[in-house]
Amino acid sequence: MMMILKALISSLFAGLLELDNVQAGQFLISRPALAGPLLGWLNGCPLEGAKIGLLTELIYMEFIPIGGVVPPNGLVAAAIGVLGVAWSGLPESAAFFFGILAGFLYGGVEYRLRGARTGWITGIEAEVKNGAVVRLGSRLAGSLLTESAVSGSYIFLFSGLLSLSAALASGLDLKTLFRASDFAYSLMPWLGLSGLYFRFRTQVYKKG
Amino acid sequence: MNNVCEKSRPSAARPGYSALPEVFVRSFFIQAGWNSERFQNLGFAFSIMPALRKIYEPGERFNAAVLRHLGIVNTQPYMAGFVIGNIVSMEEEMAGRPGDAEFEKKMLGVKAAMASGFAAIGDRIFWGRLKPLTTQLCIVVWLMSGFYGWLFTGAAFRPSMAVLFGGPLAGVAVYGAFAVYMRWVGIKKGYSCGGGSNCGFDAVNWSGLIRLLSVTGFAFSLLIAIGAFGLLVAHNWSGEDTGGQALKAALALGVMALQRVTRKSGRSVFFAVGLILAVSTALFMAAEKFQIYL
Repeated sequence: MMMILKALISSLFAGLLELDNVQAGQFLISRPALAGPLLGWLNGCPLEGAKIGLLTELIYMEFIPIGGVVPPNGLVAAAIGVLGVAWSGLPESAAFFFGILAGFLYGGVEYRLRGARTGWITGIEAEVKNGAVVRLGSRLAGSLLTESAVSGSYIFLFSGLLSLSAALASGLDLKTLFRASDFAYSLMPWLGLSGLYFRFRTQVYKKG
Repeated sequence: MNNVCEKSRPSAARPGYSALPEVFVRSFFIQAGWNSERFQNLGFAFSIMPALRKIYEPGERFNAAVLRHLGIVNTQPYMAGFVIGNIVSMEEEMAGRPGDAEFEKKMLGVKAAMASGFAAIGDRIFWGRLKPLTTQLCIVVWLMSGFYGWLFTGAAFRPSMAVLFGGPLAGVAVYGAFAVYMRWVGIKKGYSCGGGSNCGFDAVNWSGLIRLLSVTGFAFSLLIAIGAFGLLVAHNWSGEDTGGQALKAALALGVMALQRVTRKSGRSVFFAVGLILAVSTALFMAAEKFQIYL
């Protein structure tokens, strides 16, 4: 019960951090490398959180929010990775990969949220034309609240589902699979470092 | 209240000037209403609202100004200040030209041109360089503190909380300070030189800054890559024979090459992650006693 409460608090906290990701401030406090140890600290596993956070950041660095592109969500990935360790009791490596998957899938949720806000414009324009007092601040506050609530709920539900699946699969022998995921996880820093290296190399040696 | 000579008056005497601090604070929420059709329009209108209230009396012209800025806006959030400041300045001028459709058209054209121009610069500076640099800073802080757990995921490390948080916070501090500075400089510069679509583009030597960040990032990348391979050798020095060490180095290089090939073939990093996971699973299923970690 205590763990569920902790997971709920962590999800709400991650939902708040998520606002920094796109909607408010963008000071980078929502970066996975910081959110990971923060959420890990809340759940008693700061070291695992830090590792999951940095590796998520390295892997997700490839995606840049240029134009109307909705990139996969690194904060969601890191949060679900940490809760996968703390709540579901998964090995760090498996939790990391589930987090990566969850962050990728969250891109679709974010896309729909943005689509839903499109519907507001006609209403706001009609209000302005009719001379009504436009309360853009309240609309945007609602948008922030929705974004935070949706991402928090997504993290909580995805982690809950992971936890449930882990409990159901506890009777199965998954050692080989977990060893394989440990091995794959040990290769992730090199995948990330390569992305980092070639990103800057391309910029420096760009032709023209 | 307003006339066509607004900009000949000192900034402090212009109606939009006193609203700039509030506009600045609101500009942090420019993406709060991000939508698929008109992108940052809601946040943009929200940001300039205090200035519009100072410039126009409530009524038809104020409403027309709000409607004007509910059109498409899409720029880099940290560079939006340049567009915002410029538009506040142009709205002051617009207030002295009631019904001037030509000037209104010019203002919207300037807004669109600046938004895309500064988006191109901002994307290169912030997303393309500064953000990865903060990741590098985190790695460097961790490396210098002797925390290599992120590189050797299976090894036992017990870093202090100060180290764990110091790495990411160092990047947040540098990045955050620069981003806030840029937002404020943008609004001030945009406001003072407002009126033309080239306003603010001379505020900083952008190409020099971009080049500097690229070179710095590449130098860090090189150092981190060399350091990581050095650590890989050192970490396995006592426990592995030469063959084992060569295998591990080859694995690391192979993964780096995979990332490169994946990118070159137009696939995302998820393809590489999935492939590594699938091959690892197949390998461990086929040979249960197989055991290797970098």
